[in-house]
Amino acid sequence: MTDKKTGQPIPRNPTLGEKLRHLLISQEGVLFVIMLVSVLFLATRTDKFLTVDNLLQQGRFMTEVGLIAIPMTYIIITGGIDLSVGSILGLTAIVLGWTWQELGFPLELAIVTGILSGTLAGFVNGLFIVRVGVPPLIMTLATLALYRGLAEGISEARSARGYPEWFFQLGQGEFLGIPTQLWLLIIAVIVFGIVLARTRLGRALYAIGNNELGARFSGLTVNRHLLFIYTFSGFMAGVAGYIFVSRVSTTRSDMGTGIELDVIAAVVLGGTSIFGGTGSIPGTIIGVVLIQLLKNGLTLSGVTSDATIVVIGSVLIFAILVNNFIQSRREES
Amino acid sequence: MKRTFAITLILALLLALVAMPLSADGHERWDGADDLDVNPLACGMGDEMMEDDDGDMEEEMEMMEYDGGMAAMGDDMAGMDITLVDVPKLVGIGYFAATTLGQQQAAEELGNVSVTTDAPTEANIDDQIQVIDSYITAGVDGILFAANDPVAIAPVLRKALEAGIHVVGYDANSEPDAREWFVNQAEFNGIAKALVDSLADQMGADASFGIVTSTFTTPNQARWIAEMWAYAGECYPDLEWLETLEAQEDAVLSFQQAQTLLNKYGEDLDGIFAMTSVATPNGADAVQQADACEDVAVVGLATPNGMKPYVNSGCVRDVILWNPVDLGYAAVYVMRAVVDGEFGPGDASVSAGRLGDLVVVNGSEVLLGPPFTFTADNINDFDF
Amino acid sequence: MSRPPQRRPLDFIGIALALVIIGAYFTLPFVVQPERGPSTVAVLTESKKANELGVFKTGLEVIPLAGLGILLLGIWNVIAPAAGRAIALLTSVAGLLVVVYYINFFRNTPISPPSEWGEGTILGSLDLAFWVMLVAGALAILQILIPRSVPDERYRIRKLFGNQESVILFGLLLLIFFIGIANPRFLQERNISDNLQGNAYIAVAALGMTMVIVTGNIDISVGSLVGLLAVISGRLVVSGLPAPLAWLAPLIVGAGFGAFIGFLVAYLRIPSIVVTLGMLSIIKGILIIWAGGERVRDMPPEYFLSQMRPLGIPMPIIIMVVLTIVVVLWMRYSATGRAFYALGGNAEAARLSGLSQRRLLMTVFILNGVFIGIASVMYSTQFNIIQATPPPALELSVITASVVGGVSILGGTGTAIGSTMATLLLNFIRSAMIFINVSPFWLKAVQGLLILATVLADLIRRRRQRL
Repeated sequence: MTDKKTGQPIPRNPTLGEKLRHLLISQEGVLFVIMLVSVLFLATRTDKFLTVDNLLQQGRFMTEVGLIAIPMTYIIITGGIDLSVGSILGLTAIVLGWTWQELGFPLELAIVTGILSGTLAGFVNGLFIVRVGVPPLIMTLATLALYRGLAEGISEARSARGYPEWFFQLGQGEFLGIPTQLWLLIIAVIVFGIVLARTRLGRALYAIGNNELGARFSGLTVNRHLLFIYTFSGFMAGVAGYIFVSRVSTTRSDMGTGIELDVIAAVVLGGTSIFGGTGSIPGTIIGVVLIQLLKNGLTLSGVTSDATIVVIGSVLIFAILVNNFIQSRREES
Repeated sequence: MKRTFAITLILALLLALVAMPLSADGHERWDGADDLDVNPLACGMGDEMMEDDDGDMEEEMEMMEYDGGMAAMGDDMAGMDITLVDVPKLVGIGYFAATTLGQQQAAEELGNVSVTTDAPTEANIDDQIQVIDSYITAGVDGILFAANDPVAIAPVLRKALEAGIHVVGYDANSEPDAREWFVNQAEFNGIAKALVDSLADQMGADASFGIVTSTFTTPNQARWIAEMWAYAGECYPDLEWLETLEAQEDAVLSFQQAQTLLNKYGEDLDGIFAMTSVATPNGADAVQQADACEDVAVVGLATPNGMKPYVNSGCVRDVILWNPVDLGYAAVYVMRAVVDGEFGPGDASVSAGRLGDLVVVNGSEVLLGPPFTFTADNINDFDF
Repeated sequence: MSRPPQRRPLDFIGIALALVIIGAYFTLPFVVQPERGPSTVAVLTESKKANELGVFKTGLEVIPLAGLGILLLGIWNVIAPAAGRAIALLTSVAGLLVVVYYINFFRNTPISPPSEWGEGTILGSLDLAFWVMLVAGALAILQILIPRSVPDERYRIRKLFGNQESVILFGLLLLIFFIGIANPRFLQERNISDNLQGNAYIAVAALGMTMVIVTGNIDISVGSLVGLLAVISGRLVVSGLPAPLAWLAPLIVGAGFGAFIGFLVAYLRIPSIVVTLGMLSIIKGILIIWAGGERVRDMPPEYFLSQMRPLGIPMPIIIMVVLTIVVVLWMRYSATGRAFYALGGNAEAARLSGLSQRRLLMTVFILNGVFIGIASVMYSTQFNIIQATPPPALELSVITASVVGGVSILGGTGTAIGSTMATLLLNFIRSAMIFINVSPFWLKAVQGLLILATVLADLIRRRRQRL
C-alpha cells in the first residue's frame, strides 16, 4: 500500500516476496522495524511493559497527540506547518469550561461550542495564510501567542471543574474493553489515512507540497485545499481539547502547552518530509506510537524522564538517519 | 480593499491600546484561586502570635473529619522494605532537588525505604500524569507527589489507591480523596501573613507593592496571593496593591517584570512580593541593579542558596520559606508510618524522625510547621 | 520607475522646520534670561514630577538636537533627492521627539510660568513658544504626507515602507509614542535602557537564527543550548577559571554543538528541524542530569559581563549593536554571507554556481553555535545566580524575533537588523502593555495581536511592492 509513491514503472507484476521487500524498505517499513526492535528490547527489560492493559493505557495517553498529528501530516505534506495547535487545544478547553460554567450552556452545547471555537481558530489561521498570504509558520507563531492569550483572558485564570459523570466517559471510560478515545483515534486514522492515500484530496495535497505553483496551474483549487486543512487542524485540536478535558476533568488555560513540538516530532519521525510532498498517515501513527511506547517503556524499566528525553531525541535523529540511508540506497539500486 | 481593511485594523488596534488604560483600571481579586475561601490569620507580628494562631487553628481543625482517600487493601508491608517513587512537579530546579535530598536522608535513616525521584522536565500536567501512571504499572509500593494541578492529577492518583498503592502528597495538594495524606509545608494563610508582615515591617503599613508570580493558574501561588489579599485587607488596609505580573518560572522574565514594576511606579513602589524561587532572586537582582535596595523591599519565597548573594549584600532582608529538605524528609516518614499502619484516619499527629511529632490539620494534612524566615543571620547555615 | 525628481520648494520644508524649532528654542524667555541662565531649565525641570523620574533628564536639550537633526536631514534631502524618502522618515523621528516631549510636558504640568519670564522677549509667553514648537514638530511628522517631488505616490510610499526593517522601526516608534503619551514614565531613561538591554541576548541568538533561516534551515535547540552553555560557563568561573576564559568557553562548546548539528544536516542530510528537535531534548536532558537543579552562584564580580557599563552604556546593548552591524555588513558584503542567501533562495542554483553547499551549511551552523554561545554568556552574566534550567520557550522567542524581523522562513531573504529590531519591539510591547495597565489576563492576547499586526504590516508592503 505504501510503495505506490515510489513512482517507478513496474514492468511486471511483482511477486509477493518483492512486494514484502518493497514494503519493508519503505519509509514506514523501516520505521516499523525500528519500533518493533525498540518494543522487543523494552519487553526484555521489564515484564510490565508488553501487557494489553499497559498498551491500551498508552493508547489513551497518545490519543490527543495522535488526533492532532493527522491534520499536521496533511499540513506538512503541503509544505506548511501549524504551531498553534497547542494553543487551540487550550482555547477549546477554556471555551468549553467557560461557556458551561459562566454562561450556563448545557454541557453538550458547551462541548460543541468549544470544538467550534477550535475550528474557527484553525479557519482564521487558514484564512490569513490563504487570503492574505502570511507564511504558515509566521501566522501560526503569532496565533500561538494569540490563542493562548485568548484562553488566559477568557478564563481569567479560573478553572472549570465538577463535570457530570457522563462527561468523563470519553476521556476516562472504556468501550468494548478499549479506552473510548482510542476508538476515535483508530477511526480517524483509518478514515483520514484512506483520504490521504486514495482520494483526490490526498493526491491534491501531495501535488501542492511538491509544486504549489504547478498545482495551481494544473487547475487545482489550492487555496480551498489549504483553507480546509488548516480548519481541519483546528477542528482536530478542538476535539483533542475536549478529550483532554474529559481525561483530566478540569480546564486550565495552559493546557496543551508545547504539544505542537510533540506532534511535529511524531510527524517527521513518521517520514513526512518537512519540505512537503511526501509522508503518510501510517508513518505518522507509527511515529506517535513509537514515541509514546519509548516514554512509557523506559520509565517502566527504571529510566528517569531526564534520561528518557535524551533517548527520544537520539531515536528521532537516528531513525531519520537510518531511513535516509536506506531510501538513498533504494534509489540507487 | 484588503489593504484599507488591514490599515484600519492596525489603526484600530493602536487606538485600542491608547484607550485601554481607561478600561483596565480597578483591581478586583484576580488571582486564579478559583474563589476558594480565604482564611486570614489574626493581625500582628512576631513569632509568639504565630504560634498562638497555630494553636487556635489546630483546635478548630481537629474537629474536621479525615477526608483523604484510602488505599485498597494489599499485602501488609509493615516493617518490610518498600519502594517509593517521588513525582514532583518537575525535575531540574533547586527547590525539588532539595525535597529529593530530604527524601534520601529519610530513606537512609529508615533503612527499609528506597525512593526514586522521577518527574517531567517541564511542569506539565499531562506529562506528570503519564509518569505516575507508568509507575502504577511498574508496581511501586507508594507514590509521593507534588501536583501540577489538584484536579487533573486526581484520577490517576485514585487509580493508584485502587491498585493498593499508598499515596502521600507534599508541596502541592490534590483533591483530598485522591490521596491519603498531604504534608503541608505551611498553611497558605501562614505564608501570606509572614510575607505581608515582613513588608509592612520593612516599609510601613502604608506601603505600595507589586507582585511577581509564576502564572495565575499555578494553584499554590494563586492561593498565597488570595490569602495575602485577605490578610492585608483585614490587617493593613492602607497597603496599596499595585499590580500582579506573571513571569512563568523564567529568570529573565522575572527580572524584567520586576524592572518594569520599578520603572512604572518609580518612587511610588515600596515593595515587591516574589512568589517563586525563581522570581525572588531575579526580582532582587533587578532591585539591586537599579540601586533601589533602600527604597524597595523584596520579600519572597525562595530557597536560601539562591538568595544568599542578595541577603548577604543586604539588599533583601527576609526570605520566607519552609525547609524543603524537611518537607521531603517528612513526606517519606509519613509514608512509612502509613504503610506500617501506625498512622491512619483519626490520628492527631505523626512521628517524623528528627522533626519530632507533626500535627494533623484540615482533616488529612500533616503540617510541617510555621514558615521559616531566612535572614542575614541564619541564611548561611543552610545549604539547599 | 525612478524618474529623476524635480526640486521643489517643499523640499526645503525640513530646513524651514529646523530653523523654526531652533529659533524658538533660543528665543524662549527662560533661556535668554541671564540671571536665571541654564538653571531656569533646571528650575522648570525640578518642578515637574515627570522629570524627577528622569523623563528626558536632559530636558530641553532635546529640542535643539532634534532641530539640528531635522536641519541636517533637510539639507541632505535637497542635495540628494533620490534618498529623500527614507530621510523623510528620519526627519519625522526627530519631530516625534519634540512632540512627545511636549505632550509629556502638558500632561504633567499645567504650564503657568511666572509672569516675569515672559517679559521683554519676542515670543512673550511660554505657552506660545511651546505651541510653536509643538506645531513645528507635528509638521516634521506630517511632511511625510505632504506631496513631494517624486510624482509617483505609490513609489514614494513603497520606498518608505521599502523593507520590513522600516515597518518595524515605524511600529516601534509609534508604540513608544503612544505609550509615552499614555504613561510618560515609559519614556524615562532607565526604562528605555532596561528595555533595550533586557532581550539583548535574544537578539544575539536571533542573529544566528537569522543566518540559519536565510539558508532555509531552522534551529529549535536554542533554548536548551543557552541553558547548558550558561551553566558550563558559570561552573567554570566558579571553579577558578579566569572570567575571560569562562566567557570564551561557551563560544567554543557552542561552536562544537553547531558543528555536530551542521554535520548531521550537511553531510548526513537530515532535515535541520529533525536534528534540532532531537537536540532540544538531548541537550535539555543532559543539562538536567548534569546540573541536578543546582543553581550556580558565587561567581567572582569580574565575571558579570552583562552588568558592566563601559562609557555608561550597558554592555548588552553594545554587544547587540556591534554584532548586528557586523552581521549585517558581513552578510551583505562577504562572499560567504551572500552565499547564504543564494543557498536559501535556490539551493540548486547555488550548487551549480560552484558553492559548496556542505561547507556553507557547516559554516552557518557553527556560526549559529558561536552566537548562541555569546547569547548564553550574556544570559549567564546578567544575574548573580544562574538557573540550572533552560530558559523556557526561548526558541520560540528567538524564532519569532527572526521571522517578524522579515526573515522569510523559506530562506533567501532577511537581514540581521530586522531581527534585532523585532526583538526590541517584542520586549517593548511586553513592557508597554504593563505600563498602560492592560488587564494582566489579556496581556498575552494583546501581545499576540501586536505580533500579528506587525506581520500584517509586512504583508501590506509586500503587496504594494508587487503593484
